[in-house]
Amino acid sequence: MIGSLAELLRRAWAHPSARWGVGILLAFALAAALGPLLLDDPSAMPDVVAGATPPSAGHPFGTDHLNRDILARVVGGARVSLAVAGLAVLLALTLGSAVGLAAGYSGGWVDAALMRVVDAALAIPRLFVLLLLLVVWERIPLGALILFLGTTGWFGTSRLVRGEVLRIRQEPFVAAAIALGASPWRTITRHLLPNAAGPVLVAATLGVGDVILLEAGLSFLGLGIQPPTPSWGGMVLDARPYLSSAPWTALFPGAAIVATVLAVNLLGDALSAALDPRSA
Amino acid sequence: MTRWLLRRVVQAALTFAVAIVLLFFLMRAAPGDPLSRLVGERNVSEQEIAVLRARFGLDQPLLSQFQAFVAGLLRGDLGVSIEQYPEKVTSLLAARIPPTLLLGGTVLLINFGVGSWLGVRQAVRRGSRFDRWLTRLALAGYATPSFWLGLVLVAFVSLRWRLLPAAQMTDPLLPLDAGFGTRAVDLLRHLILPALTLSLTSMALVMRHQRAALLTVFRLDYITAARARGLTERRVLWRHAWRNTLVPMITLLGLWLPILVTGSLFVEAIFNWPGLGSLAANAINARDYPVLMGTAMLVSGAVIFAGLLADIGYTVADPRVRPT
Amino acid sequence: MIAGRLLAPLLMLFGAAAAEARQRPPDHGTIVIVVGREPSTPVPTLLGQKSNNDVSDLLFLRLAHPGRGLITADEKSFEPELARSWTRRDSLTLVFDLDPRARWHDGRPVTARDVVWSFNRMRDPAIDPANALLLRYLSSVTAVNDSRVVLTFRKSYSEQFFDATYHVQPLPAHLVDTIPPERFATSAFVQSPVGNGPYRWVRREAGRSLELAGNQTFFLGSPKLDRVVILTAGDADAQMNLLLDGSADVYEALPPVSGPPRIAGNPALRFQTQPSFGVLFLLFNQRAYGDRSRPHPILSDRDVRLALAMALDRTPLLHSTFGAFARLANAPSAQAHWTSTLVPNGPAYDPAGARTLLERRGWIDRDGDGVREKDGVPLSLRLNVVASSSPRLIMAPQVQEQLRRIGVRIEIVRLEGPVWNGRRNKGEFDIDFSSSVLDPSPTGIVQSWSCAGRSGTNVAQYCNPSVDSLIETAISSTRDLERNWRTAYASLQRDVPAIWLATPSVLFAVHTRYRGVTLRPESLYSTMWRWSVDPTRRIARDGTSQLAQ
Repeated sequence: MIGSLAELLRRAWAHPSARWGVGILLAFALAAALGPLLLDDPSAMPDVVAGATPPSAGHPFGTDHLNRDILARVVGGARVSLAVAGLAVLLALTLGSAVGLAAGYSGGWVDAALMRVVDAALAIPRLFVLLLLLVVWERIPLGALILFLGTTGWFGTSRLVRGEVLRIRQEPFVAAAIALGASPWRTITRHLLPNAAGPVLVAATLGVGDVILLEAGLSFLGLGIQPPTPSWGGMVLDARPYLSSAPWTALFPGAAIVATVLAVNLLGDALSAALDPRSA
Repeated sequence: MTRWLLRRVVQAALTFAVAIVLLFFLMRAAPGDPLSRLVGERNVSEQEIAVLRARFGLDQPLLSQFQAFVAGLLRGDLGVSIEQYPEKVTSLLAARIPPTLLLGGTVLLINFGVGSWLGVRQAVRRGSRFDRWLTRLALAGYATPSFWLGLVLVAFVSLRWRLLPAAQMTDPLLPLDAGFGTRAVDLLRHLILPALTLSLTSMALVMRHQRAALLTVFRLDYITAARARGLTERRVLWRHAWRNTLVPMITLLGLWLPILVTGSLFVEAIFNWPGLGSLAANAINARDYPVLMGTAMLVSGAVIFAGLLADIGYTVADPRVRPT
Repeated sequence: MIAGRLLAPLLMLFGAAAAEARQRPPDHGTIVIVVGREPSTPVPTLLGQKSNNDVSDLLFLRLAHPGRGLITADEKSFEPELARSWTRRDSLTLVFDLDPRARWHDGRPVTARDVVWSFNRMRDPAIDPANALLLRYLSSVTAVNDSRVVLTFRKSYSEQFFDATYHVQPLPAHLVDTIPPERFATSAFVQSPVGNGPYRWVRREAGRSLELAGNQTFFLGSPKLDRVVILTAGDADAQMNLLLDGSADVYEALPPVSGPPRIAGNPALRFQTQPSFGVLFLLFNQRAYGDRSRPHPILSDRDVRLALAMALDRTPLLHSTFGAFARLANAPSAQAHWTSTLVPNGPAYDPAGARTLLERRGWIDRDGDGVREKDGVPLSLRLNVVASSSPRLIMAPQVQEQLRRIGVRIEIVRLEGPVWNGRRNKGEFDIDFSSSVLDPSPTGIVQSWSCAGRSGTNVAQYCNPSVDSLIETAISSTRDLERNWRTAYASLQRDVPAIWLATPSVLFAVHTRYRGVTLRPESLYSTMWRWSVDPTRRIARDGTSQLAQ
């Protein structure tokens, strides 16, 4: 089990895109961790009257319209975005795997009912579900946001896991093992993990990118993460009136989003290539 | 064939029904007084409150509420907008569908036209610099938030270089008696930027799918046979190989639509394009819950319907395929 | 060959366009105004917000308006509008003679009956409590004949003439007197108003634009800008874009941060400033959030309010938004008010003193999270901000940050116009970031700051009878005006019902092709009918055919 996962990762690492992806993500993670120690307070407005100033030695990314250091805010936003995305995807993974396993194992009407619900949920665009929740709840704590994001993102994973469970059940050696007295549950789950790990990992990686984009979009709409906590989407929202006069205020947060999501997608790309080299 | 079709339609209807149930529970799960969600900041009279209570069964147990909800749905009554009271949600939605179809249709053409073609080229030149760089570019586009790209395009193309209008679908100052040609050109000028924004951020999906599908087809025996027969590469590609990717590409439509819907919410809001997306964005700001819920239902229905069409579509394209 | 086929129709098109352009005189043109909130009810008695007022002033006239100096206490300075002349019979009675040329847009003459009906409608506290409060000293309005109206007051006071002429814009009684008041807002008249002003209603596209046409038979002169389009753009960014990409011609109130520099580089636009009647302030809710039956758990304590006021350094707030184009406000008195020099300074910036005051009142941060608590209740307040106001959006995070430093947690609630307004009216706020355009007369203060105003625009439910009586003294006095106003303002300040921040100038961006541009501070576009277009600088939409029939 661990062997095949390690094998997968090794094969993925051979791709340059994986290295780029990991590299970029590591850079962000490092910045997020070290940021509070090395950089200004993201909420500090040292000279608010000066307003937005272009990139300079003191402020490598410039300052926003309230004279707050953009680099500090981008890094601050990284902490929130990465944490929220990571935790939300973890939650989605857990839920999806559990449901997928339950559906594939039970079969019959349980499976049919669960998959019908999954199909229906997949038809409702995730953004709308979140909007309907957030419009009523307005300002929610970060934990609740992660909960909402996680509980709206497990449907694809459950399909994947269910598919794997069904496939394994049909394998002759499973029937043989059960005939010999082994517990069907343990047999299936023991073979599930190494086989499903690959596709699930790819889906999870891409899922992180989706959540980052989603959370940025929500912040851009004024929902989601609330000031004074910096968020990339919120920074783009604030920068809207200054697009022409101070384009760097929107450029850097947007670039940060593109960089992280791209990194994650490159990683996912490398992983899926490693899974099925023929389609690379 | 018809039995299969009937089963498929029933399945789709069932899925839609489940989606409605999910949305209903979403609506009820939220905190606060459901009446305030229907009424918002408006001043309402006592009799109107009574009407709303009866219509939505606000004081009654959950099951009765659901029955009232479904009954209204079957009547075609999705409620009344808060912000644009007393406009009905259904009429607001109906008015916004054509612009969204126009924008969505254009993006569809661009994505499945240009995107497909690029995907094919990539598969043909698999492993080349062209292939690798195009993948990276496409991924970068996919990683770009549509709201940000839209703003950047507006800032440069509209405001700095004054090439295209910054907002809306038509020029409100066009004289009433402007001719068809003027109107068409005006519409096109307003369409370019939002369509470009949406296309660039979603093309990657189509490109990669097309590429992967074509590569799979290339490995099939009969392609080798066709080449052995001496057909030109070009003929092999377009008459035989590409044809066989139609099925997976049509399947993609079902996946692609939710992405388009999500993207158009932001793009329509930024460009003030009078479609369903900007209706939803306004509804968010105005806390206009009935409109938001109505849009969610409509969009879900559209996605399920698109999936159904896709299923039908590829049985037409490939009669051998019979999905269960 | 194809070119030949295209040539003929093209020539015809050009010819037709040229012919159309010839029909409109060379100095006539179109003007496009951008506003932040849709003027959905630009009809007197339904106004309530600035864009409604602006449009209503184009459609409806008043009896008279204040002259250049805006000394509303000096009745000799007023200039005629609907009333051609007037006399003061005695200290309580005014007689107005209407201009016989004045006509409604449907052709009927404006009569004394219209004026009397409109006054009585507005005076009725059952129908319109907020405005009735302003006319509380008026005892009767009668029509002597078709063109003469007599107004009798209960007492003699300096702003009497202002009250007689400013608040009421007469409505056509023959069209509206059968509409019950509660149905008025949704009536057909409001969908397509008939006024008597320099502009007539043409059409409206809900949520987008509103169009007016010049009233060619306007008795004071026919407008040269004969097509007016009012566009609504919800946020400051969109408003600015419409101006910069040439879709709009006039835009009002831009903070220098995103305004003048972008305009300065644009030769087609220029900006001018004007003292305004606007005041920005942070309004404290005296009652509980959404529940007027209980006092506010935190803000009903005057010392807490005072501490919050002391903790704010208002100068950077001002400079970061308005630059040099605003003055500190210390009371509900604006730059253009004649009483603006009489307002004493508010609480001085003293964060240390603020902290001490909060501690003395029992607000201490016991759990080290940076937010003070008292009896388990954290000192956390919601600040409602309307998303369409760029200055307030810029100031709100600064207020949040400055108050954070004294241990107060501010949550910024960003809301769209109608939602923000609705919550404001229902008292669903802790602190509301308000911006009011005040009456040109300082007496308007009673609407929002008196006990009687609580049924109207005094949404915070602030009430102090002794302050009320001092304000009344100032309003009704005819001597010692300055001293009385000073005392009244000082007493209001002592209660700290709000933190007044700024009274900004009005900044206008106007397209340079217009000639004769003048603006009246108390009624912005009301002189627009005198503007014209420089014939050498016309643009496409100045030449398009007139749409009004």
